Order: sequence, then structure tokens, then C-alpha cells
Amino acid sequence: MKVGLKIWRYDSATGDRALREYEIEAPEEATLLDCLDIVKDRHDGSLAYRKSCRMMICGSCGMRMDGAAVLACKTRMYDIAQEGRVPVISAMGNLPIVKDLVVDMDPFWSKFKAMWPWLEPGYDRPDDGREYRISQERMNVIHKEALCINCGCCVSECNAMESDPEFLGPQALAKGMRFVGDPRDGATVERLERYNREHGIWDCTRCYFCNERCPKGVDPRDAIAKLGAESIRLGIDRDMGAKHAKWFVRSTETTGWLREEELIPKTQGYVSAIKQLKFGASLARHGKVRPVPIPHVARDVNEARNLRKVVQEQDREGALGIVQGERALARLAHGGGAESLEEIYARPGAAPRPFLPGDAEGGAVSPPGAGGSAGGASSAGEGSAQGQGSLTQADVTPGKEPTRKRGGE
Amino acid sequence: MRRVAYYKGCLASLSAKELDSSTKALAPMVGLELVELESVTCCGAGDIHEAEPDYYLHLNARILAYAEATGCDMLMTVCNVCTLNLRQANFMLQGDEELLARVNENLASVGVPAYSGKVDVRHFLWEIAEGEGYEALKQVAHRGLKGLKVAPFYGCQILRPSKIMGFEDPDRPWSLERIIEACGGEAVDYPAKVKCCGFPIIAAREETALGELIQPVEQAIEAGADVMVTPCPLCHLSLDAWQQKLEASTGRAFKMPVLHLAQLVGVAAGLEEAELKFKRHIVDPRPALERLEV
Ligand code: SF4
Ligand code: SF4
Ligand code: SF4
Ligand code: SF4
Ligand code: FES
Repeated sequence: MKVGLKIWRYDSATGDRALREYEIEAPEEATLLDCLDIVKDRHDGSLAYRKSCRMMICGSCGMRMDGAAVLACKTRMYDIAQEGRVPVISAMGNLPIVKDLVVDMDPFWSKFKAMWPWLEPGYDRPDDGREYRISQERMNVIHKEALCINCGCCVSECNAMESDPEFLGPQALAKGMRFVGDPRDGATVERLERYNREHGIWDCTRCYFCNERCPKGVDPRDAIAKLGAESIRLGIDRDMGAKHAKWFVRSTETTGWLREEELIPKTQGYVSAIKQLKFGASLARHGKVRPVPIPHVARDVNEARNLRKVVQEQDREGALGIVQGERALARLAHGGGAESLEEIYARPGAAPRPFLPGDAEGGAVSPPGAGGSAGGASSAGEGSAQGQGSLTQADVTPGKEPTRKRGGE
Repeated sequence: MRRVAYYKGCLASLSAKELDSSTKALAPMVGLELVELESVTCCGAGDIHEAEPDYYLHLNARILAYAEATGCDMLMTVCNVCTLNLRQANFMLQGDEELLARVNENLASVGVPAYSGKVDVRHFLWEIAEGEGYEALKQVAHRGLKGLKVAPFYGCQILRPSKIMGFEDPDRPWSLERIIEACGGEAVDYPAKVKCCGFPIIAAREETALGELIQPVEQAIEAGADVMVTPCPLCHLSLDAWQQKLEASTGRAFKMPVLHLAQLVGVAAGLEEAELKFKRHIVDPRPALERLEV
């Protein structure tokens, strides 16, 4: 089959960059990685990318296809080639680019190391001198986290890291949960204290890009929620993020609805809340918050209060509350829940694939290269000029600085 | 007319009352009879899921149980975060009989009706982006948006995780664009429309959150938008209310009006200020909408 690829070439030494188009002949079962091999072997030996295992286990080949991080060796090209699409391939985001598709993983590894990625022995040796045994149930707690292959796909699109480059990030924190949840580890509290610091778990903005991108089903966002739950269970709750989370619990118990006007004071403490007074007053003028908190009480709120008492006595506190749902949610990954893209676009009355504002009434899908979606295509990156809808990420152009705090000050 | 259980969530009950009133006015026009849930609480946002996940599951199960008790087979939400919370809890319960049984036992012990697992949780956006709702929408949007340039802002939790949401392609969504076009507006395109506005950490990590928030606001302006529209009242709160903090920290005047989805369609359908309540917005959208008058 014929496969077209557009690849962002970049050289950090010179700063040169260019979008090159390649058309190659590849076998039908070819993956993106196979196609890159063909480009390098037969068309352009100077192309740089990483690979090793070719079977989704070493984590070397993370890169972006049309702005979304993928493992090149897991991505089959058949459907894309059949549709006549020419995807744009670029390096992963949130990491500096060395050359072409190769990123510098040093920041990734230093965050990884900051998690203490080893077991701190802390268990009693069994008296009979035999090995330490762990029940399946206990290992289920970290089953997903243990699947991580350190590829960095989750980090590539992490929205919190784009804004705060020091954020530990999804991979490191998921690794942290892998040790916090391990019954053999003896440093749970020290770990959680560490992960609760400034650029730790409470930096996560819940954008869910990490869950979306992870090729191994680790669901790093869920791992971060487990760390939050364990921290709060063990009373490590000084961080504003933890206080914020606890205030929601308190609200549902007392009024049923979120007591919004008290959320900022409860989260930041009263001193910084007073600094927010001017801001608060402007919200109050528009009825966004009430100047004097009058709790608005939901009917039968005592049921929620009692429910909390009942569940607190049932030993499913902390991370276990999330783990208990994983068996059911795992089915979704195998087509048991929400629809796949194919099913979505096959629904009667569904929008055409890919939808562009111009073809609202089910008109023709622009062929690749025909260019031009209605309105603002220029700011949407290369993809939308290719008739593929807008790209997810602004930074498909390699070498572009990640977005810094305050929009590039 | 299809009867659906309506869960408005905290924001539409409190700071975003304009969302509640415009949804209630619009729903019957697109064939939905809203049965409002009275005895329900907050779904806990991402916060209770993180602080006390077992309690989160029960709290959401209770909401689903009361939705089922209305006799409706669908629970309709008007907020991204509620949608994710309720769909996630629903899938947990539907996919695990043991877990459902335990939760039901606990619900019964505090006097809440049992939940069978049969309610479908859907966002208002999905109801009017496709199928009968979409056909009805085309009929009611008679007043039209007269080419108003609208920047759709999806936010995160209506798109991701897609295995739980699954209505559309999380990287190339189309529902808001389709609705904007059906109402006679022009959808402008910009990359940050699927990114996070920073709301969940806006209290705890304001600087990081504002670094996220600036992207959609800036890009929508660059793309030439007259207004933005969002299906999520939390996105709305940060885009509209926290915009003044962005202005203070950057020294720039953005003044980008942000509409709730029901308000945008409501304008096209001829709803009035009594229902739209634009005066409750921090950035008043009325000047931008003036050219629709006549
Ligand atoms: S499972 Fe792991 S250790 Fe075993 S062969 Fe594969 S990569 Fe190697
Ligand atoms: S959910 Fe949190 S950790 Fe995951 S990508 Fe988003 S901000 Fe990063
Ligand atoms: S969590 Fe998933 S995406 Fe992130 S590094 Fe591990 S395997 Fe890769
Ligand atoms: S964009 Fe912001 S408010 Fe909206 S769903 Fe995402 S985090 Fe929540
Ligand atoms: S080459 Fe090893 S994961 Fe792709």
C-alpha cells in the first residue's frame, strides 16, 4: 500500500526546521514505526527517531501523530492509508527536542527518580523463613500502575505540565502510586509527604489527557486520585488541593450542594482569602456568589450524611474506593461501554468524519490536501489545512517553547 | 416530548442560575420534558472522587437511584464534570454485580431507593447535536445567529476519558461546531478548544491554572471570535469570572464574552433576557449580540 507521511524535521543544534512529505510503499500490516524504517532505509537516512523492541514493551518510540502522542510500533497505518490521509508526525510535547522525533528524556527521568522508584523494605519477615506472600487482592491495587513502560506519551499532552514545567507529571506520579500501593513498601507516609509538595499531586488539573494517551491502560490520572485518597486517609492534608477536596465532602454532608462561597477560604486559608475580597465582591455583584453565605440546603441531605457514616465503616477507604471500580471499568476498554469511533460515525444522523465546520449538513469530506476549514484554520496548525479538523495541540511545531506560565511572559 | 430526569448540579443551582433558567426554557422547544430531581446532592466533582472515593461512588449511586425513581430512562446533565462523575459511577455499577449489590444495601440502609443500573447519563449537548434533538434544534433556531463568530470551548471532561464519554472523537470533536452552524453562526477553529481551562486547580494552584486559562481566551480572540460557548458551567466560571484575573496579571483587556450552550441556542431560538440572564455574567455578552437585533 501507499503511505504518505509528513514529518517535522528539526535540528536543535542549528534550529532548522522543516515539514517534509514522504510517500512510501509499505506492506499492509505496517505500523508507523515500520513506515519510518522504510523512510530511513530507502528515502532519507538522516531521519532521527528512537526504537528498540518494536512490540510495545520498551517504551522508546513515543511520538505525535496529528498532535496526539502514540507508540509508533502500536499504530497500524492501514486505515489511515485507505482514507488517503497524510498524517503529520512530530516529536512528543513537554520535553525538549534533540533532533527530529527524538526528545531529551532527562527531565522525564529526573522526575521519575524523585519518586524514589524502589521498594523501601518495611515488612516483617515471615517467621517460618519462607517468602513474603501477598494476596492477589493487594496486588490488584497496583496492577495498572505496574504496566507502565515509561514511554512518556502521557507526559506529552499533560496540560498542567505545559503551564508548570516542574510538575512531576502523570508518569512519575503513577510510578509513585505503584510503590505507595505496594504492601512490601515501608515508606508510605514519607513518600506521600514528598509527593504532596508544591509540584506534586495537587498540581494535576484533571485534563485526562494522560488516561487518553497511555498505550498501556495505566490511567495515570486515576493513580493520582489514588495518591490523593491515600494522603487524605493518612491525614496528609495540609496542601490547598487536599483542603479543597475535603471541603466538597463537608459541603455534601451539611447542605448537599457545594458551599462555593466558602471554598476559597477553606482552600487557601482566611488570610489569602481576604486578599481575594475585591475579586469576590465583583462576583457577588453579578450574583455569582452570595455576599453573606446562607447555606442552600438540598432536600434529604441527612441521607448523604448517613451514607458517608455507613461507608466509612466498611474498609474501602482511600485508594480501595477507586480500585473496586476498576474491574468494571476495564470492560469499557474492550468495547463494553461507550462506543468506538467507528460506531460513533456509523450512528444514524451522525456528523461526517472528520467534521469540519464547513460541511455541517453532511457535505463531502474535504480530501486530504484540499485544504481550508472554515474560519481560523491558520491558527489551528498544519492538520486543519489538511482537511482533518483542528489538531488537539497547539505545539505540533517542534522546537516551539512549551507554554509557560502567564502566556509566555 | 421525551421525559428525562434533569440533574442540574451545584453550579446551575447557585452561581450559574442563568444556565438553569435557559436550559429549562429551551428543553421543551427541542422535545425534552425535564423532570427535576429534588432530593439530590452535589456529585462531588473530581474532589470527592479523590478525597473519599467510596463515598463518591455512593453519592453518585444515590443520584442515579433518584433519577430511576422518576421513571425516566435517561439522566440529563448540563455540566462536563457531573457527566464524567455520573457516567463513571454508572459504569462501575453496571459492570459489577457484587459492587452494585453492596451499594444498594448501603443505599437501602439510609432510606434511598434501589438502583438497577438501567439509567443512561447524557449531556444536553449530545441531545441536541444529533438525532431528533438536532432536527428539532434546526426548527427552533429560527432567529439565527446571523453569522456571529463563535469559538466553541469543549473543556476536558466531556471528551476524555473517551472510553467513558464516547460521544465523539476526543481530538476532533464536532458537536458544538455543528450546533453553532445549525443556529446560523460561524464556528471558528483554534487548538485549545479541547484543552483544560485550569478550573480544578484554580483555588489551589492559581498561577498554573491561569497559565492554562489564557490559551483558549487568547486563541479565540486571535481566531476572530465574537463570543465563546461552552457546555460546562465550571469552564464558564473560569473563562468568564477568572478572565478578570488574567487581565490583571497580563495587563491586557480581553473582554471575551462566554455563553453557556443553552444560552447560545436560546439566543437563536428567541429566548429573552428573563431566561438568558446575561446580566449575571462578568463579561456582558449583550454588546457582542447587539448586531443580531433587528
Ligand atoms: S514480558 Fe517483559 S521481561 Fe518478559 S519478554 Fe516481555 S519484555 Fe521481556
Ligand atoms: S490529568 Fe493531570 S497528570 Fe494527567 S495529563 Fe492532565 S494534568 Fe497531567
Ligand atoms: S503511564 Fe502510560 S503513557 Fe505514561 S509513561 Fe507509562 S506507559 Fe507511557
Ligand atoms: S475545561 Fe476546566 S472546567 Fe471544563 S471540564 Fe476541563 S477542567 Fe473542568
Ligand atoms: S519500539 Fe518499543 S515501544 Fe515501540
